[in-house]
Amino acid sequence: MTALVMLEGVTFTYPGAVQPALADVSLALSAGEVLVATGESGAGCSTLLLVATGFAPRVVGGRLRGNRRIAAERCGIVFARPWTQLTGLCSSVRDEIAFGPASRGLPGDVVLAAAERAMAELHIAHLAEREPSQLSGGELQRVVVAAALALDPEVLALDDPAAELDPEAADTLYDALPAIAAAGTAIVIATPDLERASRVATRAVVLEGGRIVATGRPAEVLGGTEAARIARAAGCPPPVPLDVPALLRRVQR
Amino acid sequence: MIGYVPGHSPLHRAHPYTTLALAGALLLGAFALTRPIEVWTLVAGAAVFAASGGALRASARPALLLSLPIWALLFVLHGLLGADPRMVVGPLSLSVAGVGRALVLGGRVTAIVLGFLTALATVSPHRLVEAMTAGGVPFGRTFLLASTLTILPRMRERAAQILEAQQCRGLRIGGSVVARLRALGPLALPLVLGALAEVDEQVLALDARGAGGTARRTALDPPADSASQRMLRGSLLLVVVAAYAWKFWRMRG
Repeated sequence: MTALVMLEGVTFTYPGAVQPALADVSLALSAGEVLVATGESGAGCSTLLLVATGFAPRVVGGRLRGNRRIAAERCGIVFARPWTQLTGLCSSVRDEIAFGPASRGLPGDVVLAAAERAMAELHIAHLAEREPSQLSGGELQRVVVAAALALDPEVLALDDPAAELDPEAADTLYDALPAIAAAGTAIVIATPDLERASRVATRAVVLEGGRIVATGRPAEVLGGTEAARIARAAGCPPPVPLDVPALLRRVQR
Repeated sequence: MIGYVPGHSPLHRAHPYTTLALAGALLLGAFALTRPIEVWTLVAGAAVFAASGGALRASARPALLLSLPIWALLFVLHGLLGADPRMVVGPLSLSVAGVGRALVLGGRVTAIVLGFLTALATVSPHRLVEAMTAGGVPFGRTFLLASTLTILPRMRERAAQILEAQQCRGLRIGGSVVARLRALGPLALPLVLGALAEVDEQVLALDARGAGGTARRTALDPPADSASQRMLRGSLLLVVVAAYAWKFWRMRG
């Protein structure tokens, strides 16, 4: 399968920084894949998303060394804070979601159809006429993800997408990802929410100090977390909880 | 209240260019008129403009609050310290020409502020964007203008949130002028730094949604324009040109 994104020995340094945020990263991302990138805060997961989608250094500046090939023509990205991703110019959720396709100059009916489809995928059709600024953080985050999906991206990067969501909304969001990937989109998620991410991921990478220190199937790579080791030692039956909140939930049950 | 207030007044229903043209005519007209009676007739015109948009109450108070310190300054500079001949009003000896000058300058400021706030209250940023998009204006310029209309309410909203948060942490905002000025520090710093921090994400989000693309954006719901509105805008331009011609003719005379 042809890779939509190919990184070979890529090192990226932010403007004004001395230490690179990503160091010697090699990675390929193909259509239909769901890749989860995780690591401690500052490990370089968010930077990996920016580099893989082409926004770094094109928009954020900085220096990129190594070989990067992005075959995808349309890349979408969603950040953790939804209110910074609104245009601030739209009076309804439908218009906000239609903003991207409209920017591409598509015919009006195609734009609106793309917005409706994206709203249906994220189960937010009931919010279509609401004013974006009046929504809760969780609703807003789903609007922002739908806005990215409306562009029909070949690569969709999600930077801690459930940070503002309640557990139910977070489940809804993660549950929608396999179908999106199955339609041909490559998804890359940077998140500390290993439990949910591992449910949908086809591959996982762990970053440390900007370097990839582990890569492989989620169960293998993420199974080495402290929470997973404790759960296994306690005789917890599979699937083993991967993070502390999941471990606590399992203990409470 | 500063910012867009939804409504169904004639100004709300008018094409955004028409409302902006009226506000622009007030601004340019204010500098073309040189006599107190003329300028204060224009202030009355600005009040009618605000009333026709149902925004008199919403705009008059902030307009007065913004204008009053300038009136006071002009009164001292021109009325009290102006040249002879003088007139005595109660205990004050006032410059006759200075009072006239203060009335002209103060009236100009009031008319301009009232006109601007009325435009802010009655021009929906979304409709303006749609109108400019339909007119083929590049998105960069559209965003610049529409952001100008939305920045005040957004900053105000953010300032209110920061103020609430700081009050929870013990900040006192009442009391003497000195105490109030002291409270500005904990408000201004997070306000400015927070806005700067979010700009990066917003730029990325807009770029990801094609805002920086070269394709001509699709206008989904452009506001209706009419021959009578286009004629009104043309007439306003002629009136402004005539006012300046009259001003220069009088200056030469």
